[in-house]
Amino acid sequence: MKTIDVDRTLCDNHGQCAIAAPDVFRMNADGELEYEATFDDALLDEVEEAIDVCPVQAIFLKD
Amino acid sequence: MSTPTVQVPYLNISDPSFAMQSEELRAAREQSWYARTNYGIAVLRYDEVSKLLKSPKLSQGSAKWPAHNGVHGGLFYDWWTKNLLVLEGEDHHRIRRLLNPAFSPRLIKDLVPRFQVLANELIDSFIDKGECEFIRDFAEPYATRVLTILLGIPESEWPTIARLASTVGLALGVTFKQDLDKVDAAVAELYEYAEGLIKDRQANPGEDFVSRLVLANRDGDRLSDEELRNALVLLIFGGMDTTRNQLGLAMQSFMHNPEQWELLAERPDLGGKAVEEVMRINPTVTWVTREAVEDFTYQDLFIEKGTTVHLFTQSSGTDPKAFPNPEMDLLGEHAPHYGFGGGVHHCLGHFVARADMSEALPLLASRIAQPYLTGGDEWLPDSGNTGPIRLPIGFTKRS
Repeated sequence: MKTIDVDRTLCDNHGQCAIAAPDVFRMNADGELEYEATFDDALLDEVEEAIDVCPVQAIFLKD
Repeated sequence: MSTPTVQVPYLNISDPSFAMQSEELRAAREQSWYARTNYGIAVLRYDEVSKLLKSPKLSQGSAKWPAHNGVHGGLFYDWWTKNLLVLEGEDHHRIRRLLNPAFSPRLIKDLVPRFQVLANELIDSFIDKGECEFIRDFAEPYATRVLTILLGIPESEWPTIARLASTVGLALGVTFKQDLDKVDAAVAELYEYAEGLIKDRQANPGEDFVSRLVLANRDGDRLSDEELRNALVLLIFGGMDTTRNQLGLAMQSFMHNPEQWELLAERPDLGGKAVEEVMRINPTVTWVTREAVEDFTYQDLFIEKGTTVHLFTQSSGTDPKAFPNPEMDLLGEHAPHYGFGGGVHHCLGHFVARADMSEALPLLASRIAQPYLTGGDEWLPDSGNTGPIRLPIGFTKRS
């Protein structure tokens, strides 16, 4: 199963992933990213879109 | 706002002589992380700009721009109030989700060979003269023809697109009210253009950018024809002037840093770094405006709901606290700049802009040496979106 890995040294908390894939990524009240590393297969398209739209390309999928 | 415990600097940002790259601003940034201005506060340092740009307590501050200028109706007004730039919350997110796939970096990559052909063709047109007017001969046709490539319309139509984009751009200037009739007429023409494109791709969908938007859907939700039209107008409005200005500013920065230009000529792989460095030290979008959606306290400052907050991009990108050596350095490792804004309103088209400029700059550097100003340059004011209007340069042709 694929899992999500966000490179926190790159992540700049723009929150575009939380727009693209709100079931997996969210921004907390301080404007910081929270996410689940594992996700339902049905959400793969959403997750891939989040990876694509990240302005700093900080999101990766690991096998 | 609370009583400040330290002396807070004041900046008159509406003064035509106000300059971002000035001793006044550097001194203010040294003194305090923010300044008071004639409307709202200005955030001057990198860490604070970074934090507040993405704060959920601030929303996009431009929704009321037409009203601030005494404009309460008309085609531009209607378009502005429904476009992605000013929408918030789920209304914004829904449109953004439907637009995002067409702007995927993987799809933009396929256009790179066409960007290269275009850049070389434009350089060919002036290379033997040893001089050019960089905006007229390169930056404007390049930025606009990139848009025609993206939209899948004949590149020969670029002057029309450039004229319409520039006219709608007047809406962001201080003479908006006087220019309103011209602006509305240009919006009407752009609507017609966009509607024609949409109809054509609905009848003959292909693999191109507009077809992707026409076919875009998510969980059964689609863009209406009106939403699609508004998005295409935004693309033209937001994609032309900005890229043209930024290319002009890039040339200015490299003329100040000739050794960096030589480095780029030798190392075309640094094209991407060149774009990031130019946008860090010399961005066309010199500030981004937000508005407080609730009362909150940030550091020592109470910010009342409704306060306008200007986030100064150029000032943040050269803040010595974040960049001990703030000079342009294509080999340096620098924190990200905010020339594309940030947060939920981060520029949608940044992958396109990054891709086209990172091809143009090394091709220019590889063909023209020692560019220099020949005089007669004209500039937009430093407030808002800045850059050269005319940039006559001389150079030596590389053999």
